[in-house]
Amino acid sequence: MSAGRILVVDDEPQIRRVMRTTLVANGYEVDDARTAEEALEKLRTGRYDALLLDVNLGDANGIELCRTIRRERPNLEPSILMLTVRNTEKDKVQALDAGADDYITKPFSTPELLARIRAALRRMPAGATAAPESITLGGTVVDFAAREVTSRGIKTRLTVKELDLLAYMAGHANRTLTHRELLQAVWGPEYGDEQEYLRVFVNRLRKKMEAEPGKPKFLLTEPWVGYRLILPR
Amino acid sequence: MSERATQTMSLAARFAASVAIVAGVTFVCYRVTPVNATTAGFAYLLAVLLIAAGWGLWESIVASVAAMLLYNYYFLPPIETLTISDPQNWAALFAFVVTAVIASHLSTQARRRTEEALRQKREMERLYALSRAILLAESARDGAKEMAHQIARTFELPAVILYEPTTGIFHRAGPADLPGVEEKLKQAALQGTQYTDTRGDLVVTAIRLGGKPIGSLALVRPELSDSALQALVNLVAIDLEQAHNREAVSEAAGARRSQELKSTLLDAIAHEFKTPLTGMKAAASALRTGSVSNESSRQELVTVLDEEIDRLNQLVSEAIETARIEAGKLQLNRDWHAPEELLTDVAREFQAASAVRPLGVKPAPGLPRVFVDADLLRLALRQLVHNAMRYSLAGTAVTMSAHCMDNRVFLTVTDYGPGISERDQERIFEKFTRLQAGPGHPAGTGMGLAIAREILRAHGGDVIVRSREGAGAEFSLAIPLECPATDNSTATAIGEKQ
Repeated sequence: MSAGRILVVDDEPQIRRVMRTTLVANGYEVDDARTAEEALEKLRTGRYDALLLDVNLGDANGIELCRTIRRERPNLEPSILMLTVRNTEKDKVQALDAGADDYITKPFSTPELLARIRAALRRMPAGATAAPESITLGGTVVDFAAREVTSRGIKTRLTVKELDLLAYMAGHANRTLTHRELLQAVWGPEYGDEQEYLRVFVNRLRKKMEAEPGKPKFLLTEPWVGYRLILPR
Repeated sequence: MSERATQTMSLAARFAASVAIVAGVTFVCYRVTPVNATTAGFAYLLAVLLIAAGWGLWESIVASVAAMLLYNYYFLPPIETLTISDPQNWAALFAFVVTAVIASHLSTQARRRTEEALRQKREMERLYALSRAILLAESARDGAKEMAHQIARTFELPAVILYEPTTGIFHRAGPADLPGVEEKLKQAALQGTQYTDTRGDLVVTAIRLGGKPIGSLALVRPELSDSALQALVNLVAIDLEQAHNREAVSEAAGARRSQELKSTLLDAIAHEFKTPLTGMKAAASALRTGSVSNESSRQELVTVLDEEIDRLNQLVSEAIETARIEAGKLQLNRDWHAPEELLTDVAREFQAASAVRPLGVKPAPGLPRVFVDADLLRLALRQLVHNAMRYSLAGTAVTMSAHCMDNRVFLTVTDYGPGISERDQERIFEKFTRLQAGPGHPAGTGMGLAIAREILRAHGGDVIVRSREGAGAEFSLAIPLECPATDNSTATAIGEKQ
């Protein structure tokens, strides 16, 4: 049985070759695309669990492509991993803001890549989060089973990581959760220092469920420590 | 000299005319309509008055003396005799002379005032024209030189020199030459003094800004009032200051631009080098940790590793070549080579990439060999192919061809990309220039064509571009068939050996 279907989007033939070889050897089904256009075409017809997306595509900007995928195909929620040679905080935040779930700096080692893909594909087992089936926060209803947020009549889908993060916080509601705890629970045991991930994901969640994302009432920041979800009882 | 002669002539003529007018009055009063002595006296007085007002003091004095003598001879008894003893004569002469002096003085003054007003008006107009020119001046380049020309033109001066101590340049303007004033200019600029030669033909003055001399100006026959000269000097000071400010601003902009270029260049280098490194690291780490167990997959990874090491090696050699060319130490290691071999060598290197884009090689048959540095020529050719692939759409063909014409061999790379506008065709050879025309802002260092041109010029050839917007581009390396004179001996020697 396949460990998952992965679409590699990179304009460099040699990198596609290496990725295909190593991923196939590790039980994944691999497809690849050289250009943004080709990638969009493949997403239209096929279903993928994860996308490995190069930021510097020959004919387009990978970050733009990521944004397009998230905007145009809200019902597909493949995990998106961005690959790039830049590694400043600003670049990471930019990629995550565009809708990516993780970020890998080139050059990377194969074990690291495999671990990241595993983390991206990892679904929290149902029940592990101890979250209720749905929660109501003011005028917003979050349906975990349907992966849906209904806020003032508008429905939005949650990506896998957004859903896991919110479910974990709902399962541990009204308690301050540290950055490390959240990262390890949602992304995996290899994570712990990537606070910018949380910052971006919490912002993404606030946009989907808070009435005023700039002045959150439910998803609160605990400065220097972590985050807390207020769940009215 | 001739001018002075004309002046003397006209003065003598005017004296004669004055005497003639007085004689005419006498003729009319004595012969035509005989009048009494009093009326004649008034008539003479009127003539003297008009002469004084019209011409000046000396003409009217001559007229006064003539009038007194004729009045005495024809009108004062005893008539037709000259007797000065009568006090009436003295009274008449006195009246004529006083009239002459007062009238000429008044009219001279009026005339002088008019002239002064006209001169001031002209000065004002010229200063205005000059200040307008300064305000409208845009480019920082040659600000002072342009200023000197502007002064000479506006004030119609035969020679103007503007000296700038910061650059040490004497900006000369005007049709005449002005030798030997450099020392005076330097002194004026240093000490802030003003010098005027005895005849007022030459003025050398300091240009001050905020009390501090910042330059000096020499003018030939300026015919300017002191205040106008001062205003002119102030205008020049403002202009020089403006030019300096403009220069400072454009320098700052240049520095900022070069900073941007550097970071673009760094980005491009990072991408170029990290791409093979990424493939190598991924393949090597997979092999080391046993992430890939299947033998054929391991073989595939080793192949990629090998190829990417070659590619990295290629990049490093290119970087070194580039640095060598940049440093200006381009030493040609020339030998005889077949053009088609150069093409196929380069085509082979692009094999992996040409899976995406068909790369055709079409040399004309029977081409003569060329005497070149093959490494450098291949480097130049690679830049052209790289560009063709970067700037044209995936799937469109790139063709390499070679032909011989007018004693030159052309190695040409043709693509069917968006083409290059005429305006951009010269710009692309400048360092760090990268056109945005390709699909999605292609990466690159913006050095490729500059390097290619440098290489070809060292061979006595050039890089030639032919393109129309929207209709692809054709880049040719033009290599001269004859070897440069200095290489003749080696060329023949090697040629004979073969």
